[in-house]
Amino acid sequence: MNKKIIITIIGIMGILFLNACSYGADNTSTTNNDKEEDPQKGGKVSIPIVADPTFNPWHPNAYAESNVVNRVLFSSLTKPGKDLAPSPDLAEEWEVSDDELEWTFFLRDDVLWHDGEKFTADDVAYTFNEIVLNEELGANNSSYFGQLNKVEVVDEYTVKFVLESPVAALPAYLGFNTEILPKHIFEGEDPWNLTSFNKENPIGTGAFKLKTYNSGQSVVLERNEDYYGETALLDEVEYKVLGDANTHVAQILTGELSIFALDDLAAIEKIENADGVDVYARDTTRFFWLILNQEIEKYQDKEVRQAILHAIDRQTIIDTVLKGYATIADSGIAPALQQYYTEDVTRIEYDPDLAKELLKEAGWEDSDGDGILDKDGEPFTIDFEIGIQGDLEAVSQMVQQYLEEIGIKVNLNAMEWNTMIQQVVVERDYEMTLNWWRYPADPDLSAYMHSKNVKGNNIPGYKNEELDKLLDEGAQTSDIEKRQKIYIEAQQLMAEELPYLFLWYPQEAQVRIDKLKGVPDLSFGDALHYINEWYLEE
Amino acid sequence: MLKFLINRFGQSIILLLIVTVITFFLINLAPGGPSSTMRMDASPEERQAMVEKLGLDQPVIVRYASWLKGAFSGDLGTSFTSNEPVVQRIAERLPYTIELTIFTIIISIIIGIPIGILSAIKRGSVPDHIINFFSVVGLSVPAFWLGLMLILLFSINLGWLPSSGVGARGVDFNLWGWISHLIMPVLILTTTILPNIVRFTRSSMLEVISQNYIRTIRAKGAKESIVIYIHALRNALIPIITIIGVLIPRLLSGAVITEAIFGWTGIGTLILEAARGRDYPLVMGITIVITIVVILCNLIVDIVYSRVDPRVKNV
Repeated sequence: MNKKIIITIIGIMGILFLNACSYGADNTSTTNNDKEEDPQKGGKVSIPIVADPTFNPWHPNAYAESNVVNRVLFSSLTKPGKDLAPSPDLAEEWEVSDDELEWTFFLRDDVLWHDGEKFTADDVAYTFNEIVLNEELGANNSSYFGQLNKVEVVDEYTVKFVLESPVAALPAYLGFNTEILPKHIFEGEDPWNLTSFNKENPIGTGAFKLKTYNSGQSVVLERNEDYYGETALLDEVEYKVLGDANTHVAQILTGELSIFALDDLAAIEKIENADGVDVYARDTTRFFWLILNQEIEKYQDKEVRQAILHAIDRQTIIDTVLKGYATIADSGIAPALQQYYTEDVTRIEYDPDLAKELLKEAGWEDSDGDGILDKDGEPFTIDFEIGIQGDLEAVSQMVQQYLEEIGIKVNLNAMEWNTMIQQVVVERDYEMTLNWWRYPADPDLSAYMHSKNVKGNNIPGYKNEELDKLLDEGAQTSDIEKRQKIYIEAQQLMAEELPYLFLWYPQEAQVRIDKLKGVPDLSFGDALHYINEWYLEE
Repeated sequence: MLKFLINRFGQSIILLLIVTVITFFLINLAPGGPSSTMRMDASPEERQAMVEKLGLDQPVIVRYASWLKGAFSGDLGTSFTSNEPVVQRIAERLPYTIELTIFTIIISIIIGIPIGILSAIKRGSVPDHIINFFSVVGLSVPAFWLGLMLILLFSINLGWLPSSGVGARGVDFNLWGWISHLIMPVLILTTTILPNIVRFTRSSMLEVISQNYIRTIRAKGAKESIVIYIHALRNALIPIITIIGVLIPRLLSGAVITEAIFGWTGIGTLILEAARGRDYPLVMGITIVITIVVILCNLIVDIVYSRVDPRVKNV
């Protein structure tokens, strides 16, 4: 009997062994190309992603994990320059008509798709006319192109974007997750159900092309020798699917990963102290905010909004929870947009006494001595709804404490992320919430603050004619000097009016092994546009 | 036997139906549908397009009916997040979880049963106390903590084992690569499974060896090893088989935390992805597969009962 058991066990292990040898074998193709002996050339970098990617930048299921892959596989008309101003990619140059309603882009004529087909103006026209502008599809980021009527093919390498009303930020939008897809593969197909492309075998124009993809494990890209720009130095880029952020930290310490942007700063000290790994603070076009629902009357009062911001010691939150990786925000336009950013605005300092005074002027006073402000017998309580992600919960708990110190009772309700999106973003059923925006490298913040977008991403529901006017003017002129003036004024108005209670501009904590060189001083996502310049030092 | 199987089959179908109804309605009642898993700055139009594309504008009952119709013909639908057939996604991941389960169960049985017996026959002795102590520790240490500690020790400080992944498969397969990836996840799962087997073996053995027939065998002068392994163990096995029958589905349904920590691409990580992405068809598909696994395990346990103990008759 014992023998039988042992034989059975050995048998099972044998089957498992054979099994392990066989599955996963598909998708794998070996290439035996001779490597050049250039000292800077060669090697592989590994980048973590939290889930399987979708190889289609416009697909509604393409989230952050897809963006970092698609940016390398595909190319867009422009890309953020090293100063974040739009710079040429598939388009060599562009011009705008005097009425700013027609943008002409002159495309490169030396671009090949990964399958050898020629890239032409038809691909651009197809991507926008058939996918982005097809409302039924609901393509990612299609809201940036709400003013776009159509894209016309002028000749084989020239396209014209025809607009309903001027969009000065168009070149910036065309470099932000808006990569071009191959018409010769998509034509006549349902772009979302073309699984052979979106999940298996993407054809792009980028510096790397797909080598292997194993669902749940990894995506490996190899150098595209026919890339139109400088051919990449690295042999391969590997994206490892690792859902757990702790694993990312562990793996960069063991050298199994090469670079990523650290979300949860709790582990930062351990990484900073480790050998062979460096952390860089990178400016990004993001701002964190606290918002008060403008549907509720008491928050329509500017003084109340200012009082609440005065009560919060943002510097302490930055120093503790964020380990210093942020700078205090006065408006939504981040310092990363050097051309437009100004410090010449009213700064709301941490001043709890002033906060109480402002609230007193607005009629809120602790008349019954219970430690909570009240007005007409109503205590000042706020329901504070947040989604659980990264540092949001820790930050919100500190905000709660600061507000309770000036006599506002805060009921903090932290919920699962998708639940929060449904309740706060879709249904607008909230009183106060805290989150952040990330936007393309352009100061046009109409989407978040213009009164025409109160049903869209103007989540606070803020309405101000003066701000609307400035945002409209800024959106409609592509003259840099005029725009600078407009957006300085807009920043001053935002800082004073607080459509959002601006908290801070986060800096990205970019974690990188020190052998990896050639990465420009940009946020991780933007640096990916320059992955052909990255190399490994021995 | 045949009648028994037919009976069980009928019961299983009803059970499956109940499980699918409850799951389907629960996930649809949960706040935040697939359209809320989109980027935060997705416009209302983009969200609406997603809802219509996935057919979520239809009433829940209608959707359940059409899902059920598909399920009966073996079509569990298409995953919302990847557009691939649900069956294919589960089939890709299941072998990895089976791998972990088999190693964990075999190691736990090989170590657990002898230790449990030892603990029972030396009741109250120092080894018994030590075994009990470690059983409690194993049951109470959280998997995520132990997992991170192991990674810290074996991957970061010592650099012996890879911190995550399943190792290269296919052409690049090598034996050490495979085993080195297995060691830590199997170790973690074994620390949670092993104490169960030890404790059940111990209590079951204690009950059996205090019975009269054991005293009679001993009085007849049988060797102690024969008394324990032939006469006592066989009778003590039923509760042990029961607990193993409970533990196997628990492992097969995916050790979510362990798989997530070690980037093990099994059913556990798939459950996590499905729930996070509000991938309703995938959630339903996994639920069905797990339910079937549980039903099958129970069935096998019942059949094994009758083989081990002739007094138990299923016929």
